[in-house]
Amino acid sequence: MPRPAISSDVFRAVADETRRAMLDRLREEELPVLALAEDFDLSLPAISQHLRVLKEAGLVADRQEGRQRMYLLTPRPLTEIFEWVSHYEDFWRGRLSALRRHLKEKS
Amino acid sequence: MSTELRFVEEYPYPPDRVWRALTTAEAIADWLMPNNFEPRVGHRFEMRTKPAPGFDGIVKCEVTVLDPPKQLAFTWRGGGLDTVATFTLEPIDTGTRLTLVHSGFKGMKGWMVSKILGGGWRSKILRVYLPAAVGRIGPDGRYTAATLANQVSCSHE
Repeated sequence: MPRPAISSDVFRAVADETRRAMLDRLREEELPVLALAEDFDLSLPAISQHLRVLKEAGLVADRQEGRQRMYLLTPRPLTEIFEWVSHYEDFWRGRLSALRRHLKEKS
Repeated sequence: MSTELRFVEEYPYPPDRVWRALTTAEAIADWLMPNNFEPRVGHRFEMRTKPAPGFDGIVKCEVTVLDPPKQLAFTWRGGGLDTVATFTLEPIDTGTRLTLVHSGFKGMKGWMVSKILGGGWRSKILRVYLPAAVGRIGPDGRYTAATLANQVSCSHE
């Protein structure tokens, strides 16, 4: 049975539905804070707070462009999530191989 | 969007034999986990394995579909999961095709499964996003290349 040990910053960051949607949105393009706040109908402080959590998890990076701060998806930490899903995949692949051995032995 | 794990295997034995391996407690214990399975719809059973952080080692199950020798489904609850495992058997020339679908991942877990298996993120991140972003992010988490956005959006397709 897989171990869903979900504790790191990355999992905390994606545990929130709004932040997951923000990652989906930033996957499409780099965006300024204001555009994100508008897209998600959130106050500037609220969207900034979400961005802070995402940035601490390493999932977004920012840069100053004129008077705007732009945000970009930096998906490298999502490899932790690959590992979580891979764990389940490996579990079932292993069990299905065990089923093959079982069938062979009992035949 | 896919929020399920799907596996397809072919076994060189007729469906009846595979069905027995899927619906007999001793057989399930041999290839999956120790259990108190009984082949009737509504039967509640447990499978036990080694506990781990966030998981007491007990998978709580209930048989929801029993259609011999075609389909078996049971709930799969435990370790923060509330999901369903469905086994579908099809006779083929060389024996049996078994399709296992582990479905019902919700919320964050559903998003994670769908992003990785359904949305093509795994290949896209490894092939496109990662090479584009690596090296342009400073130690402070800021990136500087003004053209990065263009590069990333151009490489979407």
